[in-house]
Amino acid sequence: MKFRCERDVIVDALGIAGRAVSGRGGMPGLSGVRAQLVGDSLTLTGSDLDLTISITVTVAGDEDGVAVMPARLTTDIVKAVQAGAVSFEAEDESLTISAGRGEFSIRLISGDEFPSLSEVGADSVSLPSEQLAEALKQVVGAASSDESRPILTGVLLSAEADGLRLAATDSFRLAMRDVTGVSLLAEGQSVLIPSRALGELNRILGQGDKVELSLGERDASFVVGDVRLVTRLIEGDFPNVAGLIPASHTNRLTVNRGDFMDALRRVKLLARESTPIRLEIVDGKIDLVAVTQDVGTARESVEATYDGSDLTVAFNPDFLMEGVDVAGGDEVTLHTIDELKPAVLRGMEGDSFLYLIMPVRVS
Amino acid sequence: MRLVIAECTVDYDGRLTAHLPRALRLIMVKADGCVAIHSDGGAYKPLNWMTAPNRLVIHPAGTEVDGEKQAEDQWMVISPKDETLTITIHEIHSDTQHDLGDDPSLQKDGVEAHLQELLAVDPEQLEPGMSLIRREFPTEIGPVDLLCRDADNQVIAIEIKRRGEIDGVEQLTRYLDFLNRNSDLAPVRGMFVAQEIRPQAKTLASDREIDWVEIDYDELRGIERPQQKLF
Repeated sequence: MKFRCERDVIVDALGIAGRAVSGRGGMPGLSGVRAQLVGDSLTLTGSDLDLTISITVTVAGDEDGVAVMPARLTTDIVKAVQAGAVSFEAEDESLTISAGRGEFSIRLISGDEFPSLSEVGADSVSLPSEQLAEALKQVVGAASSDESRPILTGVLLSAEADGLRLAATDSFRLAMRDVTGVSLLAEGQSVLIPSRALGELNRILGQGDKVELSLGERDASFVVGDVRLVTRLIEGDFPNVAGLIPASHTNRLTVNRGDFMDALRRVKLLARESTPIRLEIVDGKIDLVAVTQDVGTARESVEATYDGSDLTVAFNPDFLMEGVDVAGGDEVTLHTIDELKPAVLRGMEGDSFLYLIMPVRVS
Repeated sequence: MRLVIAECTVDYDGRLTAHLPRALRLIMVKADGCVAIHSDGGAYKPLNWMTAPNRLVIHPAGTEVDGEKQAEDQWMVISPKDETLTITIHEIHSDTQHDLGDDPSLQKDGVEAHLQELLAVDPEQLEPGMSLIRREFPTEIGPVDLLCRDADNQVIAIEIKRRGEIDGVEQLTRYLDFLNRNSDLAPVRGMFVAQEIRPQAKTLASDREIDWVEIDYDELRGIERPQQKLF
């Protein structure tokens, strides 16, 4: 394999494919990026078996071939060389990278040690990248990072009457977003996609206006421009999250999203060591309060409209702020029942997004 | 336990030879025959030692050993393989003897022992369908915390720690090795349980096909956490 390309092209491509390269030990092949040159088309692929990312770029090809390059070392070298043309030549077990006056010869990883990658079903549907990016931003953060409960580390994609529903929960909160007009799944069908893969997908959605989705039995594939991301699906039953949403609420708080977020940030300074932020509503006056023993107290009143009874309800500040952050729009509404039942946060732009959050018990 | 503080010279002769020049040291002679020579430093490792079984022969000054008259007391510790540890006593500063009685052995800290107790009562907290066979199931190299059966009737060896480190995975691996030699139990799978498991320990456990589970001590104890859950 022999080719030449601009340094920045290969740095960007390695940066994208390298996101899927395994940081863990185990199979040596997983620490590599597979490079395949056909004519002037170079495809770089990284994989940790759960997630695979491939990108195809145009280079000046000289000799077709395949090589598995050590991902980190190759990336470090091409990032360090002078801007301009970089030449790659793989022969037998070594790769020579030449740029400017520098020449680096590194050992390749055996091609046999790179996993063979599965093909995903050919039928695909197309979605505007921007629409999916917005939905992913709203939902992915609510998934759990606790690997001991793998079901909760995924985002559920399920078919709804008028489109697609994305839902994620870590058992403390639930984020749910409906994307109308997308028929990816048959009625009643759902798939559970690792949130890590969707987080990576969100990073590459800027590579194209549209994203092509295809689903296999065990994998899902997303193609954006010249980048293809394949992820395994999580097997198992996702909790019945729709049943968690209260049918009605008695109290409704509407507040400017930016102002509310700023106030939460300030009050959170005194919400240390898992201390919640309290929302104290008395006679229509709304205060955010944080008290950390031996540290201090923060209190800030919030300009908002409130329809309901006096109430003190407390939330984990990070969970609440994340919900407010991703809700979108100028205003958010917080619907509560009492200090212990789940509250619902929504943006004001329609009902397509919902963020359910459990209060923290306070005395 | 005999504790002797003495000016001594020590010579080991066996797989290799080693010499400790004259200095003030602590000589421990344990009831089981183990002899250890300590300096005034280091947490636990002696400068030289001879583990049981062995024979301690004391040649008082003036007696003849191999045709030579001893100028000073000489203690010879001889192993079954004829390795010798020769301690020449120049001056004894202190010589005391204590009966320590039976050792109750290392106790797990309170949380670890309580976790074992709670999970023994309700092993389904770890996996649906799990039932207890026995707590502290004995193996040749020590007792495994819980031996259970899963829903498919397969035997599971469970090691419980407060903090899950690589050492705990290694320990469970050794237990599994011994348990799987027992045809009445094999195949035995392993489960590593802790309140918090370090990423390296998770990786090692997964690599050895040992399941790992992080458990919430408060939840097991039925203590309500301030942060409520949706489900």
